[in-house]
Amino acid sequence: MAILEVRDLKMYYKTLRGHVKAVDSVSFDIERGKALGIAGESGCGKTSMAVTVLRLLPSNGKIHGGSVKLDGIDIVKLDDEEFRKSVRWKKISMVFQGAMNALNPVHRVGDQIVEAILAHEDVPHQEAATRAEELLDMVGINPKRYKEYPHEFSGGMKQRVVIAMALACNPDVIIADEPTTALDVMVQSQVLKAMEDLRKRLDLSMMLITHDLSVIAQTCDNIAIMYAGKIVEYGNVIDVFDNPTHPYGMGLVKSFPNIKAERTRVRSLPGFPPNLLAPPKGCRFHPRCPLAGDICMEEEPELIEIGSNSHKVACHKVDMLERGVNIWEQ
Amino acid sequence: MGFSRYLLRRLGYAVIVLFVIMTFNFAIFRLMPGDATKMIIDPMFTPEAIAELKRQFGLDDPPLVQYFKYVGNLFKFDLGLSFSTRRPVVNELKERLPNTAVLFLASFTLTTIIGISVGVYTASKRGTFGDNFVTGAGLFAFAVPSFWIQLLLLMLFGYYIPILPIHGTMSAPPPDGFLLQFLDRIHHLILPAGSNVIVAFGSWALYTRNTMLEALGQDYIVTARAKGLPENTVLRHHALRSVLPPIVTLIFGALPGMVSGAVITETIFSWHGVGKYLMDAVMQQDYPAAQGAFYLIALAVVICNLAADIVYGIVDPRIRVGEGGAK
Amino acid sequence: MSKSNTQTGISAPTFWEQYRRKPLGMVGLSIVAVYVFVAIFAPFLTPYNPKQILLADRIAAPIWFRSVLPKYDDAPSTVRITLGPDEWAVSEATGGKLVAEELEGTAVSVIEFEPVLKDEDVSEGEAGLLEIEEYPEEPEKSVVELSHVVSYNCSPPKTFGLTFNYWVDASSDSKTELEFVIETPEGKQYNLWGKSCSGTLGSQPARIDSRDLTLKQRLGLTIFDDPAPRVFSSKGDYRLLLTARSIPGEEPTRVYISNAEFYIPGNVHGLLGADHMGADLWTQLIYGTRISLSIGLSAAGISVAVGTAVGIICGYLGGVVDEFMMRVVDVLMAIPTLPILIILGAILGKSVWNIVLLISAFAWMGTARLVRSQTLSLRERVFVESAKASGASDAYVMLIHILPNVLPLVFAGMVLRIPAAILTEASLSFLGLGDPRVATWGRMLHNARGFGAFTTLAWWWLVPPGLAITFLSLAFVFIGNTVNEILNPRYRERS
Repeated sequence: MAILEVRDLKMYYKTLRGHVKAVDSVSFDIERGKALGIAGESGCGKTSMAVTVLRLLPSNGKIHGGSVKLDGIDIVKLDDEEFRKSVRWKKISMVFQGAMNALNPVHRVGDQIVEAILAHEDVPHQEAATRAEELLDMVGINPKRYKEYPHEFSGGMKQRVVIAMALACNPDVIIADEPTTALDVMVQSQVLKAMEDLRKRLDLSMMLITHDLSVIAQTCDNIAIMYAGKIVEYGNVIDVFDNPTHPYGMGLVKSFPNIKAERTRVRSLPGFPPNLLAPPKGCRFHPRCPLAGDICMEEEPELIEIGSNSHKVACHKVDMLERGVNIWEQ
Repeated sequence: MGFSRYLLRRLGYAVIVLFVIMTFNFAIFRLMPGDATKMIIDPMFTPEAIAELKRQFGLDDPPLVQYFKYVGNLFKFDLGLSFSTRRPVVNELKERLPNTAVLFLASFTLTTIIGISVGVYTASKRGTFGDNFVTGAGLFAFAVPSFWIQLLLLMLFGYYIPILPIHGTMSAPPPDGFLLQFLDRIHHLILPAGSNVIVAFGSWALYTRNTMLEALGQDYIVTARAKGLPENTVLRHHALRSVLPPIVTLIFGALPGMVSGAVITETIFSWHGVGKYLMDAVMQQDYPAAQGAFYLIALAVVICNLAADIVYGIVDPRIRVGEGGAK
Repeated sequence: MSKSNTQTGISAPTFWEQYRRKPLGMVGLSIVAVYVFVAIFAPFLTPYNPKQILLADRIAAPIWFRSVLPKYDDAPSTVRITLGPDEWAVSEATGGKLVAEELEGTAVSVIEFEPVLKDEDVSEGEAGLLEIEEYPEEPEKSVVELSHVVSYNCSPPKTFGLTFNYWVDASSDSKTELEFVIETPEGKQYNLWGKSCSGTLGSQPARIDSRDLTLKQRLGLTIFDDPAPRVFSSKGDYRLLLTARSIPGEEPTRVYISNAEFYIPGNVHGLLGADHMGADLWTQLIYGTRISLSIGLSAAGISVAVGTAVGIICGYLGGVVDEFMMRVVDVLMAIPTLPILIILGAILGKSVWNIVLLISAFAWMGTARLVRSQTLSLRERVFVESAKASGASDAYVMLIHILPNVLPLVFAGMVLRIPAAILTEASLSFLGLGDPRVATWGRMLHNARGFGAFTTLAWWWLVPPGLAITFLSLAFVFIGNTVNEILNPRYRERS
């Protein structure tokens, strides 16, 4: 059984002009010890989904349906206090986008890690402090820097502190939201490597959210491509990268220049992501899709399996796609 | 490292300000057109006394020498003789300083405690009655003339429903016994301090609330919640702590204003303090007394500002530990 | 140079469009409009001018209290009756009559007595001795009694009085008496004033006031008693009797009475009552708008202008100028404002203009800092660089490029400075440091405090000036916040 099973999750933001359907009937699984990458453009709902799983919604966000089963228990149904005590951070933790600001500037970094531990476990302060030092060591920071303040660290190190903090309670799942976006390339690779090591060592499951496909390619086992609040392609990383089937997925993968391939023109997909207040009827991608037909404008496509290894695609025109052909190329 | 340098700098500023005020005091009263002597020494003294005092204050000397004598006198705490009472101004001020201090401390502590608590409390309750009340109170504190409210309160509780004394720090003659005297003084303190609090707590509450709101919108608050901390802890331990520097700055930054405001309060309630002394001196053209009182008030303000700088430095670690980078 | 310099460019029509939609801003604007209207049309809004005193009794309550508070049900309002020849009725005339004459445009009442010829002369005796024959009984005095009915239907007043000028033209052997009596509805007469003379008497003023000691003694009262409530104790018709008696001589005796006025200062007066001098409070309130608006606006304007100039110059030029000026700003900000205003005000004089300058002198620093930091960031912007590259002088850049971009910030700041200036002026006047001849709201409160509003519980004196200040300040705060919202979205409140 997968450690995290998400089925038909719906989360909408209530605004003055109606409901913004940020997460619209999303389903996926994360296996124990595996990493799922969630890819997509800005505004497709990836961060919203992460925030939904952890139930950190702002006051106008509400879950309108679906289930999130952690180890078999539906955590959507738990009440707030129960969720806070037993799930949040203890079973699922998060590494936020822009970790620079995730740390409180007036508290020492060590204390912030200890705080997370003590909120969930009844251990003496000293023990928590020791664990915090170990965690710092694990992410490659000198444990003696326990007593320092966030402003004394560089960006990449702050990011690592945040990772350490996320690991504080030995969670089962870590959600990482754009963990490396704000970092330069050298630091980025360091941080990614550190995360990879940790994951393997601690047998962690991870949901990695990013728009940068190369990061997913480097670290994840599976990938889910999101578009306009829905998952449009899903499967093993190798399968999807080798043979992206959904038109959007294909466009996304193919738009990353391959340093080894021959030089071709890099094409961007024409058009803009839809307005989530009133998404297009039928397949949400149809206004931009060269293969769009009548059925695409009427019916929402379901995720159907193609090939092996549970490679799933949500597209009516799947049969029209031949392996290896890039529909976006002239 | 950063802190002691910072501290030294602030101290330096304080000294410069005092220096400027000294010079200003000097210039205003001695370099004005007209006979400076009349401003320093009571013309009613005998000519011999005048001559002697002139020598003491160096009024016959060239300005620069006068200036040094003046500064010297200040360091000896010699502020001259009051025209109205012929007593040394220093002694008069010494008598009145405790009264002003008491009124000030009472008003200040109550205002900050009430104001800040209300502000923190309403920050988490947006859109409710409490919230609107705080916004209104803040506005009220800013636009309404404080002395007017004090006058109204005085009329209401001193004359209309005469339950509170209308003037003075204590009854004359004072009641017997320490306890009764103490209660009597508190009785006299209620109206002046209370009116100060009513007028001012609004702006504290509003500022605290706004700062809290801003703090609550920060990312590390989201992180704190994500870590599974109870809401209470989030508010107290994270939001409040980061809100302390601006609030502390506010508290200490408001001190000088409150010192100024004390002048008005003391005048309205005939409170036997330094502020009223200043007003009386100015009205009676008792120049040495006015100078002395002004100097004391300015000194108090400078000290308050310095205290503000120190506390701010302690509370904000960025200043304390120094701006760093990767080590 | 086109307006494209302005990076935060928002044109006037757009600004107004946005402004119109903000309710608080419109409220503020309307309030200010009302005040401005009142300031301009003050003379039309009140029949009195602020310098008029003695319109009513000390600390009279507003006239509409009569309809609202039972305590003032029948409180008297000011009674002022000019008694010219037409107003007097002649209730008794023996040997004389009342004539109306006009002297220098004023109607004068003249009581004219016929000369009475003596029937017998005093005869001389022999050899120089004057034989005194039995003096005939006192010749009849001619009497003319002038009366005027005053309907008084209020509760007893605190004072009353009669003033007039009089002179007597008569032959030297005549005797004349003049007497003033008030007769109550019950018929009781109070003889309040009398004067007698022989022959001619030059023009005299008669100032009969119920507070006079002589009057009280005349009535047999002590100095602590109040004649007015005794005399006017009941409601009904009172008669004012001015009686002239004369033993005329050979010539007709003429008693001239001019500028006669009977008054009872009212306990209620006007829309807001009267102050300790009997001056109308409503008038003071109305005229106060002029001062408060002009002082507030000019002090705010000057301080903002100075602050902006200093801020731009320091921010742009940097270096020594900047360092020095910023230290000056620091030092000035560390000086307690009110005490120094008090001292400087006392020494430099109390004129209105002084107050404005003093307030401005200690209010420009905040603006300077704000403008300076804004200038610092603007300085690095490309359009400034390009202007300098094309050879513009520093002054030109500061004036044409920096200033327009700083204005939105400054504008909002200036509006918010106005309430502070108004409050400072009010505080200073309240403490007694304003010009005593100028009626500002602060001074009204000063007078209220110093001249008995508390002991008489005259809350109607205390409340209106404070309300006036409050609403004006609030209005400007609303306007300022709205302007800030529109022009400086960074400062919008986070929701």
